[in-house]
Amino acid sequence: MIEFTNVGLRYGQGPEILRDLSFRIEPGSFHFLTGPSGSGKTSLLKILLLSLRPSTGKVKLFGRDVSALDQDSLLQLRRHIGIVFQEFRLLEHLTTFENVALPLRVLGQPESQYRENVTELLEWVGLGERMHALPALLSGGEKQRAAIARAVIGRPDILLADEPTGNVDPELSLRLVRLFAELNKMGTTIILATHELPLLDNFPFPRMMLDDGRVSFRD
Amino acid sequence: MTEERPAQRARTAPIVPERSVAGRTLVLLVAIMTFLSAVTLGGVVLVQKSAVAWSSDVGREVTIEIRPVEGEVMESNLRTAVALAEQTPGVAAARVVSLEESQQLLEPWLGTGIDLSAIDVPRLVVVELADPEDADIAKLERDLAAIQGASLDTHAAWRQQLNAMAGTIVVSGLLVLSLIVLATVLAIIFATRGTMASNREIVDVLHFIGASNSFIAGEFQGRFLSIGFRGGIVGGLAAIVFFLAVGLTAGNVVPDEASAQLGILFGRFSLGFDGILGILAVVPVIASLTAITSRLTVRRFLSQTS
Repeated sequence: MIEFTNVGLRYGQGPEILRDLSFRIEPGSFHFLTGPSGSGKTSLLKILLLSLRPSTGKVKLFGRDVSALDQDSLLQLRRHIGIVFQEFRLLEHLTTFENVALPLRVLGQPESQYRENVTELLEWVGLGERMHALPALLSGGEKQRAAIARAVIGRPDILLADEPTGNVDPELSLRLVRLFAELNKMGTTIILATHELPLLDNFPFPRMMLDDGRVSFRD
Repeated sequence: MTEERPAQRARTAPIVPERSVAGRTLVLLVAIMTFLSAVTLGGVVLVQKSAVAWSSDVGREVTIEIRPVEGEVMESNLRTAVALAEQTPGVAAARVVSLEESQQLLEPWLGTGIDLSAIDVPRLVVVELADPEDADIAKLERDLAAIQGASLDTHAAWRQQLNAMAGTIVVSGLLVLSLIVLATVLAIIFATRGTMASNREIVDVLHFIGASNSFIAGEFQGRFLSIGFRGGIVGGLAAIVFFLAVGLTAGNVVPDEASAQLGILFGRFSLGFDGILGILAVVPVIASLTAITSRLTVRRFLSQTS
């Protein structure tokens, strides 16, 4: 599903952020991406989200070499990938329901077509009572669950999460990672970036460790 | 702050919030630009219409001038000239300008109460053409060679000058109109760039959830189209009110006689139904210009940032 071959990245003439990364990630797997701050976790996720091109090497997603794809093909491929950020990035003027429905709305679907699915998903993540609230009225945990719901409403094959537990307390962090685990059970490939090592001990998933731009794997 | 319930939001909120677009200032700017465009266009049309009407009136007449020549009988020559003119194909009628009429024509230069019988003044025959295109002016000119002191004035020089003057005014007006349109486009480009910069977060979110540049541009274009329409309607209505007010004021302030003369020279300062339609047509043009300019600016912004 994801294949990196000798991938390197540097911004402009700056130092190499990622060096010679080569690995494969199988469909339906769950990986924690760990490493100290500045180790390149976010840059690696941006390459996977197709919003950044590597400086060297080859990236294949769903069997396709992404460097050979035009804008339209990249856009089609991106619609198979969901992303969750540490800072939630919900649109403040839209309700929880509207934020979660956004990926379907940009595909041109009418509300009558997606209303039931979005409501069901919001109830599944525990936001059934808060679907008409604006983000400003949600707690950190609620915002993150809304962000997760938005990332998965389009049924992506890959779900990327960049420090999704960074703004919530340890107990809620645990519940959020369990939510990702549930999604993984349904077949979604998940890469979750975090530097909270104690949290990882609660889950049996393999770890991708980035250090000084290089990656190593540990089960 | 209170939580919004479904009943409070009848429809899905727009992706680009209304208040995030520099709305009121831009509406005012578009209104001013529409007003200036409509007034300039109205002025150009007014001059063009008057010039065409004047040129057409002058073109329907030619004048035979007969200078006094010693040994020639003026009255006889005038009759001959009228007869020759009436025989010419394309001529509707010919008449001699009486001495009294000649006196009135000369009054601005010679003053009132002069006795023309004491002076040898040239006499005029006004020839009305049925159809200026088909009238055989060359034949009339040849025939008039038989009368000593006769010459034919087709007013060609006047018409040429008038057309040149009207053409200059029209071209200047169109140039001003182009500059107004250019200024409008530039203002919209700056406003759109500002809006895009202040809505960067929305653009980024839309990008990573898989929205195409075309979709994002469409969302912003909708906002700007609405602004363009509102500004256009305000400016267009203001221009119509301006023309009506000036038309009424000119009628009240200028005396009837002077007003009539002004009307003959410059046409009536009145839009008419077609003029109002013309100004109303400026509104969708400005609104479309606003929408298209913002769309192109957004597309450019997105292609630079994505």
